[in-house]
Amino acid sequence: MKRTAAFAVVLALASCGCAATAVQPWDRDLLAKQQMRFVPLRMEYAVDQHIYFSKEGSIGGHDVGGGGCGCN
Amino acid sequence: MQLDPASRPPSVLSRLRAAACVLLAVGVPAVAAADETSPRYQLDASTLLYREAGRVTVIEPVARITRLFEGGGSLGAEFTLDVMTGASPTGGRPAGGIQTITTPSGNTQTVSAGEVPTNPFRDERGAVDVDWQQPIGTRAGAATGAHFSLETDYQSIGVSEKLSLETMQRLLTLTVGGGYNRDDVFPVGGTPVGLTSNGERTGVDRNAKEVLSVMAGVSRVLTRRWLVGINASRSKESGYLTEPYKVVSVVDPATQEPLTHLSELRPSTRQRTDLLASSVYHLSRDILYLSYRYYWDDWGLRSHTVDLKYRFELGATFLQPHVRAYAQTAADFYTLSLANGAPLPAFASSDQRLAHFNSLTGGLTYGFRLPGHAGELTVRAEYIGQFDRLNLNAPAGEDGEEGEDGGAPVTPDPFSPLSIGTLTLSYSRSF
Repeated sequence: MKRTAAFAVVLALASCGCAATAVQPWDRDLLAKQQMRFVPLRMEYAVDQHIYFSKEGSIGGHDVGGGGCGCN
Repeated sequence: MQLDPASRPPSVLSRLRAAACVLLAVGVPAVAAADETSPRYQLDASTLLYREAGRVTVIEPVARITRLFEGGGSLGAEFTLDVMTGASPTGGRPAGGIQTITTPSGNTQTVSAGEVPTNPFRDERGAVDVDWQQPIGTRAGAATGAHFSLETDYQSIGVSEKLSLETMQRLLTLTVGGGYNRDDVFPVGGTPVGLTSNGERTGVDRNAKEVLSVMAGVSRVLTRRWLVGINASRSKESGYLTEPYKVVSVVDPATQEPLTHLSELRPSTRQRTDLLASSVYHLSRDILYLSYRYYWDDWGLRSHTVDLKYRFELGATFLQPHVRAYAQTAADFYTLSLANGAPLPAFASSDQRLAHFNSLTGGLTYGFRLPGHAGELTVRAEYIGQFDRLNLNAPAGEDGEEGEDGGAPVTPDPFSPLSIGTLTLSYSRSF
């Protein structure tokens, strides 16, 4: 419960935009690049998720759900 | 000579007007032409070559085709094939002498002295994923996904939905999503009864496992060069969560020698949560990616993950080093062995994925285009190493080492640390 509350606070701070200034449409040349995404190389990301899922006790990332496997 | 008014040089204003007319005249058909020639399909393909020292080799080709629609929507289908060969540690401990163990398929296997018992296997896994992305108005979008995969002893069917909304002049994007998976585990040789050693079977051939997951996230444009985001996700697993081929050794408390191996047993529910903070920063030319994830679940496992990538832009090519540090604590019921004569716990597993461990990943991606060809190729080599095990493949000591309190012997960890090398080749082009 404490962690959920902490996350809510972080979310609120992130969305209030205290440190941000407006970025006009004509200033979005860099942000519009494919490589300015959180996951710029989709195929490699999928490979990584599969490897880490099969070797570690943790999950989680940018996606929701996803396929399971009986990875040994 | 008096100049004819008609032959006077045009004023700056009229030149600008003329230039604007020319640009418009040229630009309109150019835009129309761009619409006609804008890509309608995207093809992505990759092949993973995976080699784990002394254990598993995997070859995984993936092909993906995406239909791009004019309004910004897309429909994609992805096909994956995994070919896995090798051996996976059973979780059983090595012995001072020869061990004879029974494999899941009922065959007996001889394990030499000091050798970690493993399950040799060969399996293929096929998977199909379909996703549909659709803008809703100008500020929102929906992504719907479906998944099916099948291997010798496991089937997975899943659906997911994600909604996103841009607000605050598109500086802020809110995302919520959910997913549901219905998996079936059908172990070769039947489903073992947990914490028994005589090959007892439950009589149930197909064991159901359900996963319900939800996520919420916010991403924020902070400056012209900087994008940050926070994601939280929670999943609830229920049903058959045990690994049917893993065992736990029962050892003589004095000698640490394994006397027998019990099938492992895990709880039938698991609640997992993670928080992920990400940042993408565009320097004058290069790009820095940084993320941190904290994970915890009700099995007592917690983990920290830091991931760093730096993309060097080299004109038409790029070079991207990657470093990832991962550390997890052990699940509450993880144990290297059970002492003979002691009461059995409710749950027990010696699966290394539930153990305490730290690992480091280092890799390098090189992206380039072939001359005269529209597609982009990337080649990536990575290494994952585990750096917290001192005892490498050594058999259990005869007497065990003295614990810090001088009492119970410390059980040495017999399992070799992770050592994984991967090579990934990817290709992408639009047409």
